[in-house]
Amino acid sequence: MHPPQNAAPPPAGTRLPDRLLILSVFVVASCGLAYELIAGALSSYLLGDSVLQFSSIIGCYLFAMGVGSHLSKYVDDRDVLARFIDIELLVGLIGGVSATLLFLLFAWMAAPFRTALYALVFILGVLVGMEIPLVMRVLHKRQASFSELVSRVLTFDYLGALAVSLLFPLVLAPKLGLSRTGFLFGMANVAVALWTLWYYRHEIPRLRSRLTRGALVMAFLAGGLVASEKLTHWAERGLFGDEVIFATTTPYQRIAVTRWKDDTRLHINGNLQFSSRDEHRYHEALVHPALQTLPWARSVLVLGGGDGLAVREVLRHAQVERVTLVDLDPAMTDLFTRNEYLSGLNGQALSNPRVTVINADAGQWLETHSEVFDLIIADFPDPSSFGLGKLYSVPMYRLMGKHLSARGVLVVQSTSPWFAPRSFWCIDATLREAGFHTHPYHAHVPSFGEWGFNLATRQPGYTPPTTYSVPTRYLDAETTRLMFRFPPTCSACPSIPITSTTSAWCTTSSRTGATWCADESVKTWTFS
Amino acid sequence: MRRRSFLALAGMAFSPSGCRRLEHLGIPLAVHQPGLVEGHRLRDGTPLPTPTRELRTGVAILGSGVAGLTAAWRLARDGHDDFLLLDGPEPDGNAAGGRFDSPSGPLLHPCGAHYLPLPSMESRGVRELLFELGVIEAEPFSEHPRFSETALVHAPDERLFFDGAWHEGLLPTEQVKAEDAGQHRRFLAEMADLTRRRGRDGRRLFCVPKALSSMDAEWRQLDALPFRDWLVARGYSAPSLHTWLDYVCRDEYGAGPEHVSAWAGLHYFAGRGGHAANAADGTVLTWPEGLAFLTRGLRVRVPVARQQAGHALRVDETREGVRILCQDAAGAFLVHARRAICAMPLHVAARVVPHLRDYGFDPARHLPAQAPWLVANFLLDGFPAEPPDAPLAWDNVIHGSPGLGWVVSTHQWLRAAKPAHTVFTAYRALADQAPAEARRQLLTLTGDELLELAAVDLKQAYGAFELWRRTRAVHITVRGHGMAIPGCGSLTNPGLTALQAADGRLLFAHADLSGYSVFEEASWWGERAARLAANS
Repeated sequence: MHPPQNAAPPPAGTRLPDRLLILSVFVVASCGLAYELIAGALSSYLLGDSVLQFSSIIGCYLFAMGVGSHLSKYVDDRDVLARFIDIELLVGLIGGVSATLLFLLFAWMAAPFRTALYALVFILGVLVGMEIPLVMRVLHKRQASFSELVSRVLTFDYLGALAVSLLFPLVLAPKLGLSRTGFLFGMANVAVALWTLWYYRHEIPRLRSRLTRGALVMAFLAGGLVASEKLTHWAERGLFGDEVIFATTTPYQRIAVTRWKDDTRLHINGNLQFSSRDEHRYHEALVHPALQTLPWARSVLVLGGGDGLAVREVLRHAQVERVTLVDLDPAMTDLFTRNEYLSGLNGQALSNPRVTVINADAGQWLETHSEVFDLIIADFPDPSSFGLGKLYSVPMYRLMGKHLSARGVLVVQSTSPWFAPRSFWCIDATLREAGFHTHPYHAHVPSFGEWGFNLATRQPGYTPPTTYSVPTRYLDAETTRLMFRFPPTCSACPSIPITSTTSAWCTTSSRTGATWCADESVKTWTFS
Repeated sequence: MRRRSFLALAGMAFSPSGCRRLEHLGIPLAVHQPGLVEGHRLRDGTPLPTPTRELRTGVAILGSGVAGLTAAWRLARDGHDDFLLLDGPEPDGNAAGGRFDSPSGPLLHPCGAHYLPLPSMESRGVRELLFELGVIEAEPFSEHPRFSETALVHAPDERLFFDGAWHEGLLPTEQVKAEDAGQHRRFLAEMADLTRRRGRDGRRLFCVPKALSSMDAEWRQLDALPFRDWLVARGYSAPSLHTWLDYVCRDEYGAGPEHVSAWAGLHYFAGRGGHAANAADGTVLTWPEGLAFLTRGLRVRVPVARQQAGHALRVDETREGVRILCQDAAGAFLVHARRAICAMPLHVAARVVPHLRDYGFDPARHLPAQAPWLVANFLLDGFPAEPPDAPLAWDNVIHGSPGLGWVVSTHQWLRAAKPAHTVFTAYRALADQAPAEARRQLLTLTGDELLELAAVDLKQAYGAFELWRRTRAVHITVRGHGMAIPGCGSLTNPGLTALQAADGRLLFAHADLSGYSVFEEASWWGERAARLAANS
């Protein structure tokens, strides 16, 4: 159904509207490139590997543009202008929200992110690919000579691309951020639609409904521009629950620090590492039951624990002359050394002259050094991947044993005996397999729930301390006594056969020999 | 590190012959063809050089692969001093390893075999060696020895690319029809049953070492039947099972189930039955450098003074003993020995020992077919991207591919994070055509064509762009005569039987005597030869 072309065409010789279309080409080209850059930058930021992300996004986008150009031939000659305006509105809407939408999607649902990303890029590409062919057809109909037309349109197309390719990295991305840049360009597309609509108002059917739609989209995008900062915060809160005050992605992990009122929390790869409100319970329980019984201890090795909070507790013991902290990620130890607020949490422990900070893979460092320590504290992330699982294996504990003095003690953070009882008792069994006598214990850390540790010694006979010579907020004689007790009839404490089958029990997910322990929450590590 | 083992590790880098240095897409590509030049000179009847010096010894061991090294280790361990171990053209043979010097440090990798199954009760020599090397930590001769978890393969150990996605294990189960999965279960149950069964003579039906297998004729007649025919006769028709067994046979024997005898096919599954105190059945032992870990352990236990560079050109028996014409970089020399252990592959022995027929072995009739192999090592900068739900395993296999998958040399490292560099070792037996034809073609291939053959699985898994983007260097070992194929008739091959029993001035020790290339078999024959040589 085509409405009659009853409106009079603009008088010949009035070149303004055509010049306007050429200006539109410039804006449209800028927007087209902007969406491509936003998608590339966002996926590099969220997924890493920028070369791969950018090249695959550009490839997908250019291909989709080709599809769009091809589809443009199916647009009826009489509808060209109206379709161009519709497409502008659609590009403005989709392109405008693309960055924010993807960010929200990534925050709440990690799985379909790539699918959504490429689908969005493809749809945008198809629409953008139709723009220039349609503009050329509009202008061609208006008797511009073909050679001049092609030259002018493509000139402005490329000029627009140049403008954005410079503006985007230098001004827009750093100053506005990806979300707001998206909304801004979306509005530019809608503006093109609106002014084209206005100048050709006599040629466009259903003018009123199109104007209303344009105004609505414009208002929506303007609202998005204003609210996008809040939306991004919502997204991060969707990930972490609280406002993110610091976040970085290192080659090893994603580190995020959140804060809500007086509660600061550290997340690694989305997993809570500590809450400033109750971390003292965790770290006191990790350090003092062992160190209090070692008044002769001179040297302490902390593996993992780049937040320096365990080191802070170790330093309370005056007999300790040197503390060596080995953490994989320099970003982590730098953050907790240099950041004023975060280093305040560990009492500047990492800058203490008694402390040496080393950034290395724990296994590699232990293999290549020969120092012996009186206490080793293994404060690693939970064994939720095969790589992290190696930190909880028999060879690793044997290696630690080689670095332990004759009467030395090894303490291992051992996941939760309540939420992951099999992991907890498997770590206990693994330590015994590696030749240690184990003394499992647990402490209540409200933000974690019931949390478990293992104190391992070469010789039998460890007695938990009844007094502490250092100031403690959580530990006292009674708490300590209860920490080393496990309820006798507790379904959460499966009896692990501590025989030759320990490893087999720990490795039901695979035909492997190595002793592995894992967090039940991770799919690949299901224990049946 | 002793100079010799350093040379062995450096592999082709110092190899004077049989090595080509090429390039692919700007990536350095080294092609190493161990023994090719030396072997083909013998084959072509190149005139023998005149010796300029002489050595005398009690027992000359000709070749330092697993059999030769085991013989030398055994002699040294039993307090014998009067022997000489001749390196041969490729020290460590099929168990050789190599090394890349990556920007983040040296990376060891296999150039041949890369794992050892849990040894059978009967492989006492192997168990003794493993105990001495600390791989077995306790009770080495019990049903369930305790193994070092450094060597027991870490999780995840195997994954299979099947139907467009990676799955745990190498035999697809949940992805195939229920009826086919039922056949898989039936097959595995039948193999478990055969592992336990004994013949009328009380021996296990199938045993590693092969020489201790039952002589029960009812089962030995399976030597005349191709493995595939046996499978069909037993009602095993599932395509997924056949594809898997095709992979298993090529991986183990260098040829598909249509060429391998049913006896050999079953022997692979039922021959070991080894257990561990601290690992599940079927677990394997592996090291970054593959079995070169074991050959290095053997070699350091042989006094340096008892080791001699060079390879044998001709072996003659004299009135006093054996005279061996040898060649090393400095020229030709003679070794006079009381007895000699021919620890070389049989196709080489056929050229070096002119009177081999006198021992009952006619090369024209008795020489087993030998499969050509490629072992390609890719030094990678970082790891290619993997799907999050199917992390890289130690052994990665593509269902139905002509390749045999790849293993990851840094898999056993005690690292939480992936190392900056790693080595992927891709295997391929050229089983698509007759071995001799494949060998002829191998000689004509360019570096790019060799790489095409070797990289088939990696390219399919990661795409050419991702693979070449990460690859910093490639080292391909071409083994034209990689291993004997245990085809039909291999078990009753009278030539092999004769050499197995030989107890004259010449003794023979090589996995070829068993008709297939496996560490335990080479070790068995090495032990036997050392025992006989020491008694004389």
